[in-house]
Amino acid sequence: MNESSSRNPDVPGFSRRHFLKSLGSTAVATAATQVETVAQELAQANAEKAAGPEAVPITLQVNGRELKLELEPRVTLLDALRNHSPYTGAKEICDRGTCGGCTVLWDGRPVYACMKLAVEAQGHAITTVEGLATGSKLSPVQQAFIDTDALMCGYCTPGFVLSVTSLLQRNPHPNAEEVKHACAGNVCRCGTYPRILQAALKAAGGTVTSKMEVIRYANLA
Amino acid sequence: MKPFQYVTAATPAGAPELLGDNGCYLAGGNDLLGLMKEYIVEPAVLVNIKALPGLDKIESDSDHWTLGANVTVAQLEEHEGLKVDLPALHQAAREVGSLQIRNVATVGGNLAQHSRCWYYRHRDVACLKKGGDTCFARHGENRYHSLFTGNNCISPVVSNLSVAFAALDATVVVQRRGSAVRMSIADLYAKAWDNPTAHHSLNPGDLILRIEIPRQSLRSAYRQISEKAAFDWALVSCAAAGRLSNGQISRGRVALGVVAPVPYQVPEANEMLEGHLLDEALAARVADRLLRGAVPFADNGYKVPLARALIQRTLLALRA
Amino acid sequence: MPTWPKETVHINKRTRRVDGPAKVTGAAKYSSDVQPEGWLYGMILRSRWPAAKITRIGLDQARRVPGIKAAILVRDGERTVRYYGEELAAVAGTTKQACLDALRAIEVDAMPMPFVVKEEDARNPNSPRVWEAAANLSSPRVIERGEVDKAFGESAAVVEGSFATSVQLHHALETHGNTVSWTDEGVTAWASTQGIFSVRDGLADNLKIEQSKVRVISDYMGGGFGAKFGPGIEGALAARLSQAAKAPVKLMLTRFDEALAVGNRPSSFQKIKLGSTADGQLLAFELESYGTAGIGSGGSTEGGGGGAEFPAPYIYRVPNIRVKQSGVVINAGSARAFRAPGHPPASFGMESILDELAVKLKMDPVELRLKNDPSPIRQREYAIGRERFGWQDQYKPPGSTPGPVKTGVGCAGATWGGGGQGTRAEAQINPDGSVEIRCGTQDLGTGIRTVIAVIAADILGLEPGQIQVRIGDTRFPPSGGSGGSTTTASVSPAIYDTCHKALKALEDQTGVADARGDQWKSACRKLGINPLVVSGEWVAGLSSSGAGGVQFAAVRVDTETGVVAVKKITCVQDCGLVMNKLTCESQINGGILLGIGYALFEQRVMDRATGVVLNPNFETYKVPGFGDVPEIDIVLLDMPERGVIGVGEPVTIPTAAAIANAVANALGARINRLPITPAKVLAALGRTKPGLA
Repeated sequence: MNESSSRNPDVPGFSRRHFLKSLGSTAVATAATQVETVAQELAQANAEKAAGPEAVPITLQVNGRELKLELEPRVTLLDALRNHSPYTGAKEICDRGTCGGCTVLWDGRPVYACMKLAVEAQGHAITTVEGLATGSKLSPVQQAFIDTDALMCGYCTPGFVLSVTSLLQRNPHPNAEEVKHACAGNVCRCGTYPRILQAALKAAGGTVTSKMEVIRYANLA
Repeated sequence: MKPFQYVTAATPAGAPELLGDNGCYLAGGNDLLGLMKEYIVEPAVLVNIKALPGLDKIESDSDHWTLGANVTVAQLEEHEGLKVDLPALHQAAREVGSLQIRNVATVGGNLAQHSRCWYYRHRDVACLKKGGDTCFARHGENRYHSLFTGNNCISPVVSNLSVAFAALDATVVVQRRGSAVRMSIADLYAKAWDNPTAHHSLNPGDLILRIEIPRQSLRSAYRQISEKAAFDWALVSCAAAGRLSNGQISRGRVALGVVAPVPYQVPEANEMLEGHLLDEALAARVADRLLRGAVPFADNGYKVPLARALIQRTLLALRA
Repeated sequence: MPTWPKETVHINKRTRRVDGPAKVTGAAKYSSDVQPEGWLYGMILRSRWPAAKITRIGLDQARRVPGIKAAILVRDGERTVRYYGEELAAVAGTTKQACLDALRAIEVDAMPMPFVVKEEDARNPNSPRVWEAAANLSSPRVIERGEVDKAFGESAAVVEGSFATSVQLHHALETHGNTVSWTDEGVTAWASTQGIFSVRDGLADNLKIEQSKVRVISDYMGGGFGAKFGPGIEGALAARLSQAAKAPVKLMLTRFDEALAVGNRPSSFQKIKLGSTADGQLLAFELESYGTAGIGSGGSTEGGGGGAEFPAPYIYRVPNIRVKQSGVVINAGSARAFRAPGHPPASFGMESILDELAVKLKMDPVELRLKNDPSPIRQREYAIGRERFGWQDQYKPPGSTPGPVKTGVGCAGATWGGGGQGTRAEAQINPDGSVEIRCGTQDLGTGIRTVIAVIAADILGLEPGQIQVRIGDTRFPPSGGSGGSTTTASVSPAIYDTCHKALKALEDQTGVADARGDQWKSACRKLGINPLVVSGEWVAGLSSSGAGGVQFAAVRVDTETGVVAVKKITCVQDCGLVMNKLTCESQINGGILLGIGYALFEQRVMDRATGVVLNPNFETYKVPGFGDVPEIDIVLLDMPERGVIGVGEPVTIPTAAAIANAVANALGARINRLPITPAKVLAALGRTKPGLA
């Protein structure tokens, strides 16, 4: 704060303005000119930042692009994606943060989009499954899922692909326990877990073989 | 959810005023949004407290660890220093929900979370904890409920972190009406022991600022038993801490989770851990003492032998 | 008689799913994803009462909520609701929030009535009646064979036991629901369904319009497990809302709804008595059972419906039997067919009592089964499996392994029909050589889309990637619903026939003797401008029915905490000719995982006092997670001589029984009720004192 007040000391109320700014409030100018104590300025600044309950402009950063929407504060990030944008990759499966179908990356970390408000997602980089491929080239994780058949109905797949992608970004060579710990928050009903484990290990550079043995009945004695 | 205003608090001092007469703090959101989606709580204002400066740090000096209330459970789990110095906290953090939850869940939110009792959480059941007349669990489905309680509600505390903090003698610093109030974990949950509608002792407007853990060269351990291998609430959880010297334990603490509205400790049980050889026999005696007075309901009697085994294993893990 | 080729390029190999790229990129559009122009959000209001007379439902306030475009009743006039969650009304609006607010603005006048939600209560003649006209407990269906009482008298060994299984919920990850557009031209429904023609049929009937004006599309769907046939009340509501609002309406159920109202596997309460000779020949079998299918469902279970009955004594040969089975209705959502209806509870009871007999006779459980299982295929499967699993080394007397963490093993067998017929298909060969196969079937994750590409590729001498497979549209030639493990057996022969006919037509029309492979493009160019479109249909000789399967389970049980960990499942499974080994293995994994859930975690909990479902979520209705997966070892018995049969259901039948037997073997005490939770294990070990009532 001290450095900043030296930059432009002639502007009245500058250091106070910068102090307020450093605390995150943006509607500073009006506050600084109209009220007296810092606390009152803060309260007013904050009140001016209040959004809703009616719809307000919200700008999301999704897969590197801007998404400009008008949404009530009670709209979740998942709702914003699925019902107010073309990004339907994240699925609504439980809407209660218990299954991982709505997993998106939030500044690179997996979160449940159904348990975040769209309004609080502003200013964060959101990655959905649609943001992983480069043009028509699948990411290594996506390709590994196909190669090991780590998908069946596919409804849980976007969430798992993102969880595994994020894991490998943090830990390029995980062991099986680490994959399970990273994916514990994703549920599959069709039963793809064993193959998702294989896909994660394969994408990390390992080799994977099917252990299923096939015996021709006609050859049995 | 009902419609609400959303506002971001800039300072801890300014936060309570923003609540109005029907507001809630929004931290990670896992608990609050879940309650709101079922209309169990219906705030008109959500005050986002995640931008409050300085509450998101893990710091330590020679005497204390200080965890800001906005530290995420993922940060706790990933902190190498904590893993070495306070293993119980690391192990408790690791088991919280799933990675997606840990990435947003805050320490403060984890402590302040509401009951997970399925009657409380049901949108169409007006149970005692919600101001109704009846604790439906008492004569109903109570397999996940308390063995000890001081009131007619039998829903237990489920916060993993609270149990670890209890065993580590943590202090919770709460901003209450402008002042910083220091509470032990027992203080933090005391109101829930007496009062069926309480989840903890916080009043509306109270804001958890930080948790301070004294550095006492203690060993510590946390264990829990769940039905599923992961991403499942504990049936019972246990944290133990103590100093070990030549096999003798001192400054011992054992706390149990999910058996009472508070992280359950018994002073006599802790005293039994002073100056004795930590062996299977002592662990068994401590477990018996801690579980004395347990009052099982129709479906949760299994928690007694389960807790007994868990207490013994957690204590003996201190020897490793 | 047609036969599958002996030498195959893609058939019976491992082929990656052709829809893999769409699913891993989010490009696959499910019925919950489609966004037709001007679409509205739809939502259902459900009964808060487990039983009530509804005298009035007021929609006026709901209609006034900003954004609401339509509000309708399920039915006019007074009505009686019989379970918590029964549908009352529906709204459509521009946002989810408008709909939520509208539902809360609907006024319902209700007179609550007495109700009953526990089977043991409902059996009591004094309990409230779910249906006024009939007792809750049905008269038993009785099947008798031989002279069972005399045979018990002659048995050297007799064992008795009681067994119970819980109500299990399908919980496919995509909820039930449809996006429906009803205009003057007709109805288009993007449905999450296992049977597009069943949805078409149901909508046409319910909405009183011609079937030719109803088109149903299900390009991708997120799982069914038997619960998604027909449009459901939600489908009809979506259509009616669309008509009223003059816009498409997307009405998907919530996870909460899924636990209440769209199907479940009935529970079972079984009392079994089994008698045998001294050397283990089964002589006498008696079973009395009841279970609930909620407020009721159609027909018996064995044909694949949703009732509480099940086959007994399941797969075993017993000359003297008496079987008495009843259903008991309760105020809860109706059962629907759920992956191998009736067989998992049948297997659990029978395989449990069989192991009890093995213990009494001091006989190896596998030997006892080999002695009494009439299926030569399962005999082989037991022989292969026991060796691969290491049964001899692992089977120890019950409860005899040392230490607090005990190990145990168990096994069980399965039978299922499968087979299937009736599909028609169409092939379009374009002059540029591209190929489109059209068939009105649906892929629930089973991989039929890929199987179609594989078959077409082999017959036309192409690669699967060159085949454009189009499914899931009632404008395509019809196929049956995807249930009963019939899809592959029904569809494959039709694709075979269609492609053979298409190839022959191409060769006839172009004069090319063999158009396959290298000749393909030049042959097709000779078509000129118009593509060749050829129909085909299911033909006999390429499929059959009757699959077996056996599974072995190894468990570890912590006797101090009661926690059961499944360490390994070995599955030996036959399903005739395996079209695609890669996707077949996934089906087997999936069936086993569902069986693990049935064994250890899953139970719909009804609350006696309030009549609600207490666990309408994934938090306390526990489906297996990543960490609950054991080592799964599969041996596939390839039987191409039997043609295509189907594998989806047999693989989930014996899993829970094998696990339960393994737990009993580990402990020397049996938990006879599913799911096997730590609470039940500790009680069975006598470590739990009974609590306050």
